[in-house]
Amino acid sequence: MFEWFGKVNFCPHTKVDGFAGHLRAGRLMGSTCTACGHLSFPPRADCPACRHGEFEFTEMSGRGAVMTFTTIAAAPAGFEDEVPFQLGVVDLEEGGRLLASFGDTVDPEKIAIDMPVQVVPRLFEESEDIKVHYTLEIPGTTWVKTDPE
Amino acid sequence: MQLGLDGRVALVTGGSRGIGAAVCLELARQGCEVAFTYVGEPDEANDTTSAIEKLGRRALPLEADAADSAATDKAVDRTVAELGGLDVLVCNAGITRDAVVWNMSDKAWDDVIAVNLKGYFTFNRAAARLFKDQRRGRIVNISSINGERGKFGQANYTAAKGGVNAMTRTLARELGKFNVTVNAVAPGMVATEMAADLAPEFRNAAVRESMLGRLADPADIAHVVAFLCSDFARHMTGQVIRVDGGQYI
Amino acid sequence: MSRVGIVGIGHTVFGRRSDATVQELAFEAWRDALADGDLDPDVIEATVIGSVPEYHKQRSLAGVIQEYLNLNPKPTWLTEVACASGSAAIRTAWLSIKAGVHDVVAVIGCQKMTELETPEILALMGRVGDVQWESGFGTTFPGYYAMFAQRHMHEFGTTAEHLAQVAVKNHYYGARNTKALFQKEITTAKALASDPVASPLTVYDCCANADGAACVILAGESAARKMGGDRVVWLEGNGCATSSMSVLRRPDLTGIPSAREAADQAYRMAGITAGDVKVAEVHDCFTIAEIMAYEDLGFCGKGEGGAFVAEKQSYIGGATPVNVDGGLKAKGHPVGATGVSMACEMVRQLRGEAGEARQVPDADIGLTHNVGGIGQYCFVNVFKKD
Repeated sequence: MFEWFGKVNFCPHTKVDGFAGHLRAGRLMGSTCTACGHLSFPPRADCPACRHGEFEFTEMSGRGAVMTFTTIAAAPAGFEDEVPFQLGVVDLEEGGRLLASFGDTVDPEKIAIDMPVQVVPRLFEESEDIKVHYTLEIPGTTWVKTDPE
Repeated sequence: MQLGLDGRVALVTGGSRGIGAAVCLELARQGCEVAFTYVGEPDEANDTTSAIEKLGRRALPLEADAADSAATDKAVDRTVAELGGLDVLVCNAGITRDAVVWNMSDKAWDDVIAVNLKGYFTFNRAAARLFKDQRRGRIVNISSINGERGKFGQANYTAAKGGVNAMTRTLARELGKFNVTVNAVAPGMVATEMAADLAPEFRNAAVRESMLGRLADPADIAHVVAFLCSDFARHMTGQVIRVDGGQYI
Repeated sequence: MSRVGIVGIGHTVFGRRSDATVQELAFEAWRDALADGDLDPDVIEATVIGSVPEYHKQRSLAGVIQEYLNLNPKPTWLTEVACASGSAAIRTAWLSIKAGVHDVVAVIGCQKMTELETPEILALMGRVGDVQWESGFGTTFPGYYAMFAQRHMHEFGTTAEHLAQVAVKNHYYGARNTKALFQKEITTAKALASDPVASPLTVYDCCANADGAACVILAGESAARKMGGDRVVWLEGNGCATSSMSVLRRPDLTGIPSAREAADQAYRMAGITAGDVKVAEVHDCFTIAEIMAYEDLGFCGKGEGGAFVAEKQSYIGGATPVNVDGGLKAKGHPVGATGVSMACEMVRQLRGEAGEARQVPDADIGLTHNVGGIGQYCFVNVFKKD
């Protein structure tokens, strides 16, 4: 149900569909190629190293460091009630990179390049539809993990 | 029936007697630690406490008026603090102040709404805050078939119970994504103290109305409540389950 | 293999063109190009249209334009690579002439940006990153370049002042270009005081949407000499490269890898180095983009782009005049038209027809740098005048 992923979703169908279900259970997943073991984040079905088409989801710690960021002041459609908000690009400890918005534990004034963060799986609470995403929080932030269906 | 509720913590409002006491005991029998609220009647509260403890579970009696939202929040906080958490909320505390509408006073209306509707709201709200963050929980609101049909002399009671049903459905929508189910149980007439105070013709009318030719025991309601709290009922939410012997079909 | 030259140019006023459809804008540029080259429309063997279809209500633009220009049954098609669509159209025409299939091909870059509302445009442009992993978080086009700017400032000490200098320069020259959207100079103070868009970029760091069209007519060597005489400007270097679409897979965000690669190809093909470029048009969708372009194109060293503009090296009289028609910043950015607009400016400059206010003296070698999206495509062209 990849359509669960993101405040707005433009991509309901993908071979890494299960990512969203894992995120709902509180688990951030990368992919490991079953042929050569290459780890990708974001996960992808088609190995960039050996072109093999089968993978397994691999849980990531979510620990990483900010490599760049910005405060969005002019909103894209669907985010008019969110501005201003901060986006960051994070290099993950195990490899790979992600883009996400900063969460409530982070003081926007203190955001800086090389700052360590914890990627935390989230549910959009005030939406009837299930929408999952992740936010960038201070290291040590905890969250509830449940068993995936 | 083994319902797999061992070690869970439950809070039952109005748990010192009637349906509430039966729910407390059934949940304790199924392995729960049980907190319950009551107003006045300390002897009844003690009886319930002893019965729970005799089943080998911890009990936490809490004097709290369901119409007082500060008291209800405190009751939830104390349950978490002293019993180590909360997994199940059963809202049951209720009163009647019957009158035909043209004779019904403001106070009769306000009091019933305050306990039977707002009281459920404040407890549901406190539990929702907890349950959504812990990503699990069960809410069972004791309603009545008189929330779905009109009942002579109960403009206030039926309005409150109808409201409880609607609120239950809304909360099921709001809390579903967090793995929390919210259901209501709607009894018909139950052989409790509240019913014992009624004139015999009312009880007989109910028996005649029931396809099974009987009134419910409080345990009949408690069994269904316990089932709804279990994982066997994990795929039921937003429902109003009539347990009325076929009084209202 | 024969050379390819430009024998006619046309360019509409860029701005809010609520008075015209996109095919009507295309016609304006087309008519002007034919007049400029004193050409009969019958010599045109094919057209290539550069435009980004998502901004228009009209489906399949190339066919509509071909019909409106009365060019049926000549072949046409659309090329789309986001903001570099115009240069892709030029490359396609160039390839077809180099391959010997056509001799004279008209390229029209055209775009109406104003058929959509601003938040729709922002969302659409934000989807130029990875819609699967990024757009769901509320990315915008300025947001991406803002993140590049944060890195550039962090690594090289580039300042908001440096960024503002780019805007000041381009508005200075835009005020001297009757086709530009913005005809007024601005001050550094005004630029620095403008509203935030995506930190550190403010309104004056961002190019504006505009409607417009531009046309260049390309011809193979012997046809070009016959038609254009000594006014022909030759397309001598044509470089084209890609970078990863997603910032999540791009190791360094302080430059655009596709630009460096495309520039290498174009310099090699034209047999020149960066120092030989007398006038350039670079893709200043945002002020930081121009600073990164100076570095990617080799006009200055890595990290020195801020100093380059602060020292006025990209003004006429400096080491390499850049965007002396106002750039995207002052002209506005009708996305499909921009690449062709850049080519038009090269032709004017190299012919010596840019007008006293902004003619680069003795300009005989020019360069255009046209980037698509956040750098997933880049086209670098080198132009020469005999």
